[in-house]
Amino acid sequence: MVPVQWYLLLAAAVFCIGLFGILTRQNALLFLMSVELMLNAANINLVAFSAYWGNVTGQTFSLFTMALAAAEVAVGIGIILVLYRNFDDVDVTLAKEMRW
Amino acid sequence: MAAFDYAPAIVLLPFLSFLVSLAGGKYLPKGGAFGGIAATVGSLLLSAWVFLTVSAGNVYNETLYTWVAGAGEEAVSLTFGLLLDPLAAMMLLIVSLVSLLVHVFSLGYMNDEGETGLPRYYAGLGLFTASMLGFVVADNLLMAFMFFELVGLCSYLLIGFWFRQEGPPSAAKKAFLVTRFGDYFFLVGVVAVFATFGTAKFAGEGAFPVLAEEALNGAAEVTTFGFAPETWFTIVGLLILGGVIGKSAQFPLHTWLPDAMEGPTPVSALIHAATMVAAGVYLVARMYGFYALSPTALGIIALVGGFTALVAATMGVVKREIKQVLAYSTISQYGYMMLGLGAGGYVAATFHLLTHAFFKALLFLGAGAVIIAMHHDEDMWNMGGLKDRMPVTYYTFLSGSLALAGIVPFAGFWSKDEVLYEALVHGLGGSPLLLAGYAMGLVAVFFTGFYTFRMVFLTFHGEPRTDIARDPHGVRWNVKGPLVVLGILAATIGFVNMVPVQDLTGIHLEYLHDWLAHGEISALTAEHYGELLHDYAHYTSADVASYVAGAVSLALALAGAGAAHVLYNVPDPDEHTEKLGAIKTLWYNNYYQDEYQVWLAQSVVLPLARLADKFDQGVVDGVVNGVSSVSLFAGSRIRRLQTGVVTNYAVLLTLGLTALLVVFGLMGGWFA
Repeated sequence: MVPVQWYLLLAAAVFCIGLFGILTRQNALLFLMSVELMLNAANINLVAFSAYWGNVTGQTFSLFTMALAAAEVAVGIGIILVLYRNFDDVDVTLAKEMRW
Repeated sequence: MAAFDYAPAIVLLPFLSFLVSLAGGKYLPKGGAFGGIAATVGSLLLSAWVFLTVSAGNVYNETLYTWVAGAGEEAVSLTFGLLLDPLAAMMLLIVSLVSLLVHVFSLGYMNDEGETGLPRYYAGLGLFTASMLGFVVADNLLMAFMFFELVGLCSYLLIGFWFRQEGPPSAAKKAFLVTRFGDYFFLVGVVAVFATFGTAKFAGEGAFPVLAEEALNGAAEVTTFGFAPETWFTIVGLLILGGVIGKSAQFPLHTWLPDAMEGPTPVSALIHAATMVAAGVYLVARMYGFYALSPTALGIIALVGGFTALVAATMGVVKREIKQVLAYSTISQYGYMMLGLGAGGYVAATFHLLTHAFFKALLFLGAGAVIIAMHHDEDMWNMGGLKDRMPVTYYTFLSGSLALAGIVPFAGFWSKDEVLYEALVHGLGGSPLLLAGYAMGLVAVFFTGFYTFRMVFLTFHGEPRTDIARDPHGVRWNVKGPLVVLGILAATIGFVNMVPVQDLTGIHLEYLHDWLAHGEISALTAEHYGELLHDYAHYTSADVASYVAGAVSLALALAGAGAAHVLYNVPDPDEHTEKLGAIKTLWYNNYYQDEYQVWLAQSVVLPLARLADKFDQGVVDGVVNGVSSVSLFAGSRIRRLQTGVVTNYAVLLTLGLTALLVVFGLMGGWFA
């Protein structure tokens, strides 16, 4: 059995990759992917602890998170489409005017 | 008392006619005149009923409606109520009768002359009557003030009735502004009364004149803002007097009244006989229990009155237009009333208010008849010889003129002489200031006799001086009827109070004294006022026979009338006043009062106002603008935090989380 620390390290690494993506990229699609990575890092944690304690609550929660992620992607893709329609690009730094 | 239950209708009926004329006047026959006549007839009948009930010894003093209820110990309630005592009952009769006659006369002056805008005219008359009646029955100072203002508003609307011409709107504005200037002091006075006494009721338990009296003899405590009670009551009284001086056209705020002649003549009759101008004097009489406590205020009232009586009478001597002469006579006669009030002659002044209401309404309506006849030419030098062509107008006008000049036995003689008599006896009895008022009043009697009969002779006697005067326009019953009613009243109303005759013959003839002397509310009776005058104003009466004083002023009036007879009762009179030279110019230009007041406004008030404006724009607004510009500047800097770039927010979030973790770590001792 793999000790739980390894899972935590893996989750932390995936989370940091996601965070790094958000902090450095300008492409909205990459943003969406990075957010996906961070969510899945959390999922890894949930499932790891669930296995560790022998309790399925954590796994149930990870299912919820996946559903949430799917919904988030649907909304996010919608936003990105609108962004593209208005700016002919998916660069998030272009859309910085906070008012019309 | 059933009459008192219906008393609010006295005020509401003319108000109803105002609404009806305003809303539906153009669909009604005669522009709504009949509605107004019906309403004033109703008011007159109800007033008569109230008068009879009051004469049976009943007095009504009730609050009907509280529109602001005070909460707590020191709170002030603002109310509407009715106070129907002998004074109010008498005034109700005067106002509703004169108003009714003016409505009837208007049929001849406005409808028959083919005027347009009649619904507006009758609506104005209705509201005017309603406001004056409301003012008369008011049971507290604030309600009185509100109706006082309404009266002023109505006079503005009616003086400016012919708003398409140049003169009337400007005269209306002048009347409104000048009286507003006085009313401003009145308003401050009302607030001062509330602040001092916590109530503004005229009569009853805890009314402000009663409280003032108790404060002076130590029975009650009132807030006097650090002044001695006597001084403070004088100040309050003088503030309220400001409104009185404006409305009753006393010097120096009399300038609006002659210009108000621009309005239709029936309106002039209403304004100068029964409403508006009478309101000021009535107010002083209403709260006489308060003024009687302050000898200073009384002295000022008497002096202002006497001075106004004289000054206005001199100006009336040289005027060319019939209504101008009457305008100055109005100012002068109200001066007499103020003199009477100031001299402690409460009954005398009220008496003069009563007789003047009838004979001045008569004179204005008579002048209106003459103006109809002359095709709206008001210059007396274009008239002459109208005596034979319009006898009804002539004899009624003569009756009014004899009353105005104060020739025995017409109404004005009895009342004017009582006013002068009161000034004389109290002046000799230890208040020499009043003697100055008496002297001015006495001189004014001569001028009054002169200008009155100059007017009569120029208008009605001699040869006609123009073609129109040779063949004047006829007048109908609706003009003659009111003239006859008022002509009889002007000749006879003085008989209600013939003090000189009583002193000579010993027969009891002073009914008005009896009427005002007693009453259920003892604080409102002439008897009580007499005691107050004696105790607080230290008025004592010298022993002068009333018929001697009467004979003196009668002689002067006859001398004035005789001078007019010699100079003007000739077939083809000359303008003798030209011989006065510079004085005539001065009088004809009203002592340059208008010019002086315009100068005051333009050279003193305007620069002051500009200065105040600069202060307002520069200092007051400057501070406000400075504060807001600091906020604006700070905002413009801080908003740069919001770049709109998502990455920056993410950085901030991450840094915040990291900082939080570090703090938790330090606090929780993770690194120890």
